[in-house]
Amino acid sequence: MSELQFAAPSSRADREMAHNMRLIAHHELAGFGGLGEGIAMQKTRDGRRVLWLAHESAPKNFTALDVTDPRAPKLIVQTELPHMKVRSNSLEISGDLMAVAYQVQAPGMKPAGFDLFDIGRPEAPRLISHFDCSGPHSRGVHALWFVDGQYVHLAGGAPDFQPHNPLDDQCYRIVDVRDPARPVECGRWWYPGTRVGDAEPQPARLPPAFDSGFRAHNTNVYPQRPDRAYVGYLDGGAFVLDIADPSDIRVVSSWNHSPPFNGFVHTVMPLFDRGLWVVSDECVQDDGKDWPKLVWMVDARDERNPVPIGTFPMPPVEVFGRRGGRYGAHNLHENLPAEVSFRSETLIAGTFFNAGVRVFDTSDPFAVREVAYYVPKAPPLSPAGAIQLNDLYVDDRRLVYTVDRFAGGLYVLEMNL
Amino acid sequence: MGGDIDPLRSRLPVTLVTGFLGSGKTTLIGRLLRHPSMRRVAVIINEAGEIGIDHDIVAMSSEQVSLLANGCLCCTVRTDLQETLRALFGERRAGVIPDFDRVVIETSGLADPAPALQTLVTDSMLAAQYRPDGVVTLVDAVHGARQLVEQEEARKQVALADLLLVTKDDLAAPGQVVALREDLRELNAQAEVRQVRLGEIGPQELVGFGPGSARVEAGNARFLGALLRDGGPGPDAPDSPGYLGGHRPGRLHAGIRTASLRFDRPFSWPVFAEAMQAILHLRGQDVLRVKGIVDIDGGPVVVQGVQHILHPPLRLDRWPGADRGSRLVWITRGMDVAAIRGMFLATQALGAAGPR
Repeated sequence: MSELQFAAPSSRADREMAHNMRLIAHHELAGFGGLGEGIAMQKTRDGRRVLWLAHESAPKNFTALDVTDPRAPKLIVQTELPHMKVRSNSLEISGDLMAVAYQVQAPGMKPAGFDLFDIGRPEAPRLISHFDCSGPHSRGVHALWFVDGQYVHLAGGAPDFQPHNPLDDQCYRIVDVRDPARPVECGRWWYPGTRVGDAEPQPARLPPAFDSGFRAHNTNVYPQRPDRAYVGYLDGGAFVLDIADPSDIRVVSSWNHSPPFNGFVHTVMPLFDRGLWVVSDECVQDDGKDWPKLVWMVDARDERNPVPIGTFPMPPVEVFGRRGGRYGAHNLHENLPAEVSFRSETLIAGTFFNAGVRVFDTSDPFAVREVAYYVPKAPPLSPAGAIQLNDLYVDDRRLVYTVDRFAGGLYVLEMNL
Repeated sequence: MGGDIDPLRSRLPVTLVTGFLGSGKTTLIGRLLRHPSMRRVAVIINEAGEIGIDHDIVAMSSEQVSLLANGCLCCTVRTDLQETLRALFGERRAGVIPDFDRVVIETSGLADPAPALQTLVTDSMLAAQYRPDGVVTLVDAVHGARQLVEQEEARKQVALADLLLVTKDDLAAPGQVVALREDLRELNAQAEVRQVRLGEIGPQELVGFGPGSARVEAGNARFLGALLRDGGPGPDAPDSPGYLGGHRPGRLHAGIRTASLRFDRPFSWPVFAEAMQAILHLRGQDVLRVKGIVDIDGGPVVVQGVQHILHPPLRLDRWPGADRGSRLVWITRGMDVAAIRGMFLATQALGAAGPR
């Protein structure tokens, strides 16, 4: 195929790219436009839609925007962290309760755990309780899942959890918050062999260049299968756990592409009606150094025997690999069981750092089709020199809310699908 | 609104602009390229030299692609249309060329548009990204009538059109335009006929002919409007000969005619498909075009075809109006419309008796 080359530089990071997606609003969050991987939408009792966003790093904790009119998001609250060595990164809401994660830069620091807030009045979140995960070997909570108002599922350390390797400090924990003022742990699972005292041998690690650790990341539990947790366990791969008895969690099955791939399984999202899992990696190195980081389609009709059947198509690494910052898979819109969340068994959307937000039609799971994308131009002052879309949320109006990791803030998009 | 993808909406619409030599196609394309609302439109032309793109409207350019000041992408066709369309999408996805939301293709004056339309439906790589939207055919008011009698390609271009533009009417003798419009009506009773001078027509007039979505609300007005108009509640219109009927001597266009068929009993898909396949197997070359809305087990399905190739059937989310009858418009060459009708009725009768 011959080329249609322009003399001008191709694929410049300062140029927007769009296919079947249109930007309808952009909000820079009062200059604090670096956002993590916690986005949730609240439908308030007075009928407003409020988008809650966790920041990537200090000084800001979380921000809420009124997106009832998605073309004119209004900032209604923005909160501070207690110091610069803690980050929130992740949050979820259920009704008027919000759980916010806290992860510190070094084990032993505080606050390391999660907060529960009453957000009945979104303008004035009220702290209900703090669940402390700090300890001599714990960096606190990286990511959490909270959709039923009863249990917080999280990736976090614990005061009594000592890993052989400091990279393996965050395990899967279930915390009962039925009394929000008094959260109590009711279940825990970790990769066998990673905790000091385990009878199992320590797992074989990836080469140092790609050793991200054996930690939980996303820990999803859906109402369709309240007895299953779908867990991305970084270099340990994808796990499905039987949590029918939280005090006795058992492995149903697991699947890992690494080695030979470069680890960091991030999300395991089941498509219950179709017997499929969508598994995403996270790219964690700049300039394509850990390429390929992909989204995988896994046939799980028999959940005990997951079989990979394909990957989602990605734009050329030659184009995006060195466009600035990271290029590769990260978060998916996770079909949250919430009234205002978009839910689909076929249309899957995800963020890919400098390749923006991309939407896929998985009707044929063997031949997933990319059907839309939006790549914002590089935000001013971004240290990456390119957009780094980190996370997204799709609402029941089919609007896509996506955030930049460093500077760009929030982008609201319409899909033409 | 469910969680699934609309089977058509995400695909880039493609408009074919056809017209015989001297019909003013080059003038029309040239004006289009300069129109302010051509941003994010890719125009594929045969020969840049003919169009005469001045340097002052070119913002960026390479050997084969120019980005014009109005945001329009002007591309010269390479070895073939398939390769050009594939490369355009690939290079756009790689950020080499700017984004575009639709494509306009200038076909060569001698071209039969049917193969290009069929390619868009049958090439699986192209069909994933593009969809044919419509055919716009220019006809010269002075020479058009003669070309239609003498040239098979000219007749095909008219028969396949969604919009017929009569050009140079200011140069035609009185009565010539009226007669030409009659000829066009005879060859294609479906398409709207308009007169334009010096290519003065807005880009929006050249789009929106095809069903752009399975959702009736989402921009199907033009396509469905035509079907509703043509398939009205009256009896079948097996022939549309115009006010002079077949009585004008020397105006025989190889038996091309438009016919509307209507069926009031719903079909099952297997029955409808069997009848359609039999007709296309036997006479695909003579079915220049068929389009319609069909009642399949109570639900509306859009059916379109060019010669022996049918587009994938499109199930609409609801009926676009109160009329729930099946309505099909046929543009055929030398075919007995009663026989087509009979084929559907016979298949329906046989199918109803047996297992479905």
